[in-house]
Amino acid sequence: MNWPQLIITVITIGSILGVVTLALNLQYARGGMINFGIVAYFAAGAYAYAIATQPAPQGLDQYSFGFDWPWWAGFVAAGFAALVFAVVTGWPTLRLRGEYLALTTFAFAEVFHSFLINERRIGNGTVGLSNLERPVSDWGPIEEKYVFAAAAALLLLVTLIAFRRLLNSPYGRALDAIRDDEIAAAAVAKPVADMRRQVFLISAVPVGFAGALYAMFTTLAQPSLFTAEVTFVVWIALVLGGERPIYGVVLGTLGLVFFEEVVRAWPFETVRSAQIAASVEHVVTGLLFIAVLRLRPFDRISEQLKARA
Amino acid sequence: MNNNSSALLSVEHVSKRFAGLQAVGGDDGLTFAVDKGAFIGLIGPNGAGKSTTFNLLSGVLATDTGRVCFDGRDITAAQSHKCAACGIGRTFQTPRVFESLSVIDNVLVGADSAGERLLGALGRSWRVRESETIEQARLALERVGLGSYSDDPVTDLSGGELRMLEVARQLVREPKLLLLDEPTAGVHPGLQERLAELLLNLHRSGMTLLVVEHNLRFLLALADRVLVMSQGQLLAEGAPSEIRSNPAVISAYLGDDHAV
Repeated sequence: MNWPQLIITVITIGSILGVVTLALNLQYARGGMINFGIVAYFAAGAYAYAIATQPAPQGLDQYSFGFDWPWWAGFVAAGFAALVFAVVTGWPTLRLRGEYLALTTFAFAEVFHSFLINERRIGNGTVGLSNLERPVSDWGPIEEKYVFAAAAALLLLVTLIAFRRLLNSPYGRALDAIRDDEIAAAAVAKPVADMRRQVFLISAVPVGFAGALYAMFTTLAQPSLFTAEVTFVVWIALVLGGERPIYGVVLGTLGLVFFEEVVRAWPFETVRSAQIAASVEHVVTGLLFIAVLRLRPFDRISEQLKARA
Repeated sequence: MNNNSSALLSVEHVSKRFAGLQAVGGDDGLTFAVDKGAFIGLIGPNGAGKSTTFNLLSGVLATDTGRVCFDGRDITAAQSHKCAACGIGRTFQTPRVFESLSVIDNVLVGADSAGERLLGALGRSWRVRESETIEQARLALERVGLGSYSDDPVTDLSGGELRMLEVARQLVREPKLLLLDEPTAGVHPGLQERLAELLLNLHRSGMTLLVVEHNLRFLLALADRVLVMSQGQLLAEGAPSEIRSNPAVISAYLGDDHAV
């Protein structure tokens, strides 16, 4: 097995998904909002990047918009698109509680997914948008994959620092208060609805950036990449990492992606063994969950990190 | 009584129905005023509408009819957090605390820190005043007798201590009007004495107090005026001594055979 390649992939994909898990952690563990449609914000970022940077349509292209902007403008557009999507979806839904919000956000993501498939003028339908622009093609002696891994890790780090700073402030304390008891928080003048909306919007922006990075990395924005499965992978990572500690969230995501990538990269001798491995993967994933939930390794590591800090 | 220039709070013809049942306000609605600096007791039998009145005043519930003015502003339609920002502090009949926070953090939520605003939180300037705020919170905890618990998880406190914590959470806000809903329920006698002393001090310092209480011995010794509610309406109003001997009050409160 090609370990260095595997590690680079884990860092890249793990960091990109880690940003999404962090956003989910902010929304759920601190804001008390269950978002089962987080993939839609990720997709909005990826598609916004694709549309902003791709050339105008020609020949057989079915899409109608291509602005041919530079990569950085596409990156900014991705964050903005996720923000706009959060405004549009948050406005009617954030008054809902618990499972109702979960169902509504899930429905929003599904609607968005089928919109991307059926409205070909936006994203070329099921074919998607391909050959997306990458920031640069020549980094001299440094291979491009390292640049992507570093960029993803940097985005994760910046998001982590910004969220941690926010949550360790009185703002985070007020958020905890609102999640614990809205009525009591309002009785000490906390604008409950405004703060929930703020958290929902802030957390969407880095998810949009992560979507753009994912689109650059894969050079593809396609509906099949943004199914509900992404939402559930991120939720699983959140559960694995322990919902509360912010480092645990990151470790949980990296751990989950590592496991998936190892299974994917394993050199199987025969087709039959690969098939067996594919089935066994689900069984092992299940066992792994049970073990992680029982032993809480990421939770503990992050508690130790916190205790030392 | 209405439109009194010294009134901090005026409640005019307010009513509230739940599922068709009148909870507050009879035919004409509930009307009363609270003067600035007053210490008013609000008493009445269970189901008289005292807590509902608190919920209407603090914006937790919306009124069906009538008008509520506070400190020269019409707050009839104001949401709960706006009422609190205006200077109405309150505690709840069943204590409501923030369970994931420590005792001191529960009080700190009451203080409006600059770091509670989004951009303020990302900056550093809130840190300058935070130690001062923490000091105020510690002082508030001392005043309600919880000074030694400040770093404990809030789940370690007893029911009575939770009530005192709610009071401390409001004290750091220095509200103009403090609504206390049964502050002595479940509070042990030693702490009750401390509470009585605290309320008198707050009263002397000029804070306006409106207190719902079933412990009449406690309340009538402190309040300078008492409102009696029964079935959502104002039954009587007067000095504690008048209320004690008011036959209508005794009959509504305890039945015909008792005296307070």
